[in-house]
Amino acid sequence: MATDRFSRSRRTWLKTGVALAGLSLLRPQSAAASEASGTDPRTIQQAPVARNGGEVRVVHSVCLGCNARCGNRALVRNGRLESFSGNPFHPYNHQGRPVPYATPVAQTLGRPSPVCAKAHDSINAVYNPYRVLLPLKRSGPRGSGRFEPIAWERLIAEVTGGGRLFAHLGEDRKIPGLRDLDSDAPLDPEAPELGPVRNRFVFMSGRMQSGRKEFIDRFVKHGLGSINRIGHTDICGLGFRMGNLALTEKKAVELKADPWGASYILVFGANIYEALQPGVNTYGAAIADRSARGEVQFVIIDPRAQRAAVHAHDWLPVRPGCDGALAMAMIRRMIEKRSYNRAYLAAPNPAAATALGHGCYCNATHLVIDDPGHPDHLRFLRSRHLAGTDGQPVDERWLVVDGENNPVPFDSVERAPLDRSLLVRDGRGRKIRVSTAFRMMRRAVMAYTMDEYARFCGIAGRRIERIADEFASHGTRAAVCQYHGAGNYAGGTHAAFAVAMLNCLVGSIGMRGGYMPSGGGGADPLKGAYDLKKFPGRRRPRGVRISREKACYEKSSEFARKKKATGSGYPAARPWFPFTRGGLSVETLAGMDAGYPYGCSILFTYFYDPLYSTPGGYRFRSTLMDSDRVPLHVSIDTCINESNLYADYIVPDVTYAEGQYGWLTPHAPALRFTGVRTPCIEPLTPATADGRPYCLETFLIDLAERAGLPGFGRETIAGPGGALLPLHRAEDFYVRAFANIALNSGLPEAPAEEKEFVENNYPVARFRDRLTRQQWRRTCYLLARGGLFSSYDQVFAGDRFRYGLERVVLFNEELAACRNALTGERFSGTLRWQPPADAAGRPLALEDRDYPFALVTHKMNVHTQSRTTCHRWTMELVPENFVVMHVDDARALGLRDGDRVRIVSRSNSRGITGRLRTGRSVRSGCVAVSFHYGHTQHGASRLTVARAEEVFLGGAAVTDEQGLVPDPKRGAGLNPNMVSRLDRNLGDTPLIDMIGGIPDFSSTRVRVARI
Amino acid sequence: MTTRREFLIGSGTLALGAASVLAGAGRAARGSTPGRMTMIIDQARCTGCRSCLIACKGYTATDTGHFNTRLLEEEDRHGRTHFTPVLCNQCDDPPCVRSCAAGATFKLENGIVVTDWARCTACGNCITACPYGARSADSRYGGRVDKCDFCRDRLQDGLAPVCVEACSAGARLFGDRENPEGGFATCLRQSTFRVLRPELETGPNVLYVQGRRYQQPMSGEERP
Repeated sequence: MATDRFSRSRRTWLKTGVALAGLSLLRPQSAAASEASGTDPRTIQQAPVARNGGEVRVVHSVCLGCNARCGNRALVRNGRLESFSGNPFHPYNHQGRPVPYATPVAQTLGRPSPVCAKAHDSINAVYNPYRVLLPLKRSGPRGSGRFEPIAWERLIAEVTGGGRLFAHLGEDRKIPGLRDLDSDAPLDPEAPELGPVRNRFVFMSGRMQSGRKEFIDRFVKHGLGSINRIGHTDICGLGFRMGNLALTEKKAVELKADPWGASYILVFGANIYEALQPGVNTYGAAIADRSARGEVQFVIIDPRAQRAAVHAHDWLPVRPGCDGALAMAMIRRMIEKRSYNRAYLAAPNPAAATALGHGCYCNATHLVIDDPGHPDHLRFLRSRHLAGTDGQPVDERWLVVDGENNPVPFDSVERAPLDRSLLVRDGRGRKIRVSTAFRMMRRAVMAYTMDEYARFCGIAGRRIERIADEFASHGTRAAVCQYHGAGNYAGGTHAAFAVAMLNCLVGSIGMRGGYMPSGGGGADPLKGAYDLKKFPGRRRPRGVRISREKACYEKSSEFARKKKATGSGYPAARPWFPFTRGGLSVETLAGMDAGYPYGCSILFTYFYDPLYSTPGGYRFRSTLMDSDRVPLHVSIDTCINESNLYADYIVPDVTYAEGQYGWLTPHAPALRFTGVRTPCIEPLTPATADGRPYCLETFLIDLAERAGLPGFGRETIAGPGGALLPLHRAEDFYVRAFANIALNSGLPEAPAEEKEFVENNYPVARFRDRLTRQQWRRTCYLLARGGLFSSYDQVFAGDRFRYGLERVVLFNEELAACRNALTGERFSGTLRWQPPADAAGRPLALEDRDYPFALVTHKMNVHTQSRTTCHRWTMELVPENFVVMHVDDARALGLRDGDRVRIVSRSNSRGITGRLRTGRSVRSGCVAVSFHYGHTQHGASRLTVARAEEVFLGGAAVTDEQGLVPDPKRGAGLNPNMVSRLDRNLGDTPLIDMIGGIPDFSSTRVRVARI
Repeated sequence: MTTRREFLIGSGTLALGAASVLAGAGRAARGSTPGRMTMIIDQARCTGCRSCLIACKGYTATDTGHFNTRLLEEEDRHGRTHFTPVLCNQCDDPPCVRSCAAGATFKLENGIVVTDWARCTACGNCITACPYGARSADSRYGGRVDKCDFCRDRLQDGLAPVCVEACSAGARLFGDRENPEGGFATCLRQSTFRVLRPELETGPNVLYVQGRRYQQPMSGEERP
């Protein structure tokens, strides 16, 4: 039967007489294979590969509907992208368990493979009529919305050389070009530590991924030599990352509960059925499936009963910004009931933890100097502290106490007392007060009673106790899934540290069903047959980033100067962030605004819309408007958005269907793979005279070649035998990276039909001459499968995660040594509960008590942050977002479902307006507003653009003689970031956490009134 | 999309390309073979992600504002939102068929209810008659009526309905109830189902597995 069906459909194609690319492989799997694998109705039928005639191509690639990195299988008909399904080889499309990697590609083409709504709709981002195709230069004042096309060669010349570029608009100012920054002179002779003039070049990125990231770094950091290539980790979700950073001593930033193995998950501010990374297609699907089987229970901890509440065991509607208090209360309960994993915590070293069956040990038993008079107060007690002065070699080992309270090296005993504070004598007989890391933590946890914690977090104490007891009863199969909501606010570092600590207390870190990072990538793309890292003349960036991330204020000239003048050296003009994951876009913008610690001369932004997507981003409109603060702004993007509206130049880019090559490694938890993104269709942007598409890579290459920066052009990539090869187009770089992955991972040569499949279906195959024939054949094995993959079942040895951490800490010595640059106070090295506060330390809930509602924000499952207003089908399904309020609160205010309301905050008294929706899905006292809506650009407003019909992909359909004709549907709804609280103590820039620089998504308080 | 549209327009007098596919189609999916095509929707697995809705929209290219499969969302008194994906129930006794004077809408032998656009007069009676709101007028085609047909053209090629493939949690199962196979058969045997509006006795062929009963959460009701 099956044979009959397939042969007929194939005959149909043949009858139509069209050229069929890769025909032999496009045929669905054999009857026998179908019968064998096709018994489960969840995978029974064939997928829509190669149907309905026309010239059909199929490409396995990686999605960019969001940053989750699922695989996709693109169906392209007659050169046009028709649909996406998933990639059967990719674990993210199959709940962690894809087809075995060695499966012949032909057998998989017919297998159903799901992707999420965003992926399906991303076709409308590719063919978005408001996409920009030609390079633009502003033809009016900044922000006027007036642009005109500029020839590619002229664009390159102007950005490289600078000059009086806007004299024709009456702006006589000389604009710096890239060449002006190609200098090793110090940018500030008074403060040489800040680095060279090169650092006045700032490159900020929105949705950047590996592949392009390495390409951009080659230009920014190693070609021009600026230290300021800065991402947007802060607005992405720095809070939970900071907690993990503290827990793991910077070894990992993303850890999550293993959804395939856990039996109990606490979901702290992770929107598992609507967003997250891995997304609903993976993590959410796995949880739903296992929950339906009764294998996992989960508790939602969120002010909002997110969609996952439908299957949740319980929902704790925590007060926004108070996850830390809830976690501390749970820890308090576990300490009081002694329900923590005592044996695990008492194991002082890797061998001892391994002997107990654990994947990672913790420093709960290690001794901390707990003696304010001691010069090493709040540092670990080390052997050298107790040694005499007899010239023995310095012993840096940490100490624990043995059964007789004698300090001994941590690696000399199998277990050590957990909860001690005692006096020890140093080599000269002086007494030192020391406490175990556990005791330090315990002291912080006991600072508040259960009732006090319950009042802070707004959850009844007995409920907290019940959940804590349940959590502790599941052994190492209990873990936390924390994400954006768990720490994205002032004070978030310690909140997320406490949330992460819950996993340590049950001993589930690095265990099947526990809390773990990702397994990493499959192979190195940058080294091997082709050296894509080093090149002649490569620069090493140095100095201090404009965001002051990972830099120490106490080492600055400013500190020395102030210390000389005032004795203390504090406060700094703005905060510094010695202990952070980095990617501080808000403080980069704030730095540019204040010219601190130095000014920016040239700003490049890539696929980035900070004014829309940053809480309080509206504050930086004036920054981007001001040619003194940002003398030259070049945006590389597919659209005109709320931020590049203020750019001097907009360089068109390709979408991920046409380019955005990359190698994509997994998010936490568990899995190990490298997905490979190559184009499915030819670029829709025009090409340069020598046939390279207008896009990020072509732009950076041409700038570098013209400005004479190293790393691009002739003789820059070292290949086999040391030959230096050119880098003149994107594929010169990426195709060789793919070859490195294939060769470094020992992939075999692709069978003839798979090589043919790639050559007949994949646009990238045109560039196979970059490789030797044998390299190409092995690379085909990789490309045909869309990457290098393994299954969930391959990442464990027994119950231990193979790619886990060696240790985690209850007390972080480095954090304890860092200081708040505004006050000079040391940060707590262990847990600490503190309600969200402004830079002056004033709790925001008190400051803004006249504003009765806390505003919480979230993503929707059909959208990505700022760039999906072009998703036509989604906008048809969900035309606008709402202001969601508890029905009791609405009643008290006399408001009704459907009313139009205005939301105002202390920082934005004009506010934003939207429609009210009432219900019980949000905590009383909160209002919830999703992102994605309330756009003023992306096609929502009229723009005066010359030759608009050529500029925009939609041509006459979206333009007239004046320029772009807007579609009002694209501006529907409201953007909650427009009312976010600013900090009056810091020049009215957005609120941040003083340790990590986390922007605050949870502390804004608002009033709501009917219009 | 073209194929499906051609079918809708010319059901019975199929366009050439589709006809040859149809000729080779197997078993009940073909329409001329008896069967009872059935969808099971497992609400214990549905995450409300709406991938099925967007995939359906992209594949069936329905008129603006209309979706052949939709998601009902009901918030309970505890704040929990329950999801019920809905689509044409391909009823055993379809009220739409009874309402169609032109005989344009009818049931195939495999149970799928289709509309022949060559005969559809766009009177809209079937839209009113359907108790499930599963039918809509397509303004681009003179108001002829569109509805879910379980992706009949895909079934003919041995493919699952597009909403079934899009479901990452495996909440949508599909098969022939008269010749159930594999896990579909197991699920049919082992589960208890509900149908929408059973009191109307329309005999729906979309069956729902209800989510298990959860512990009641206490949104805002319990204060410290």
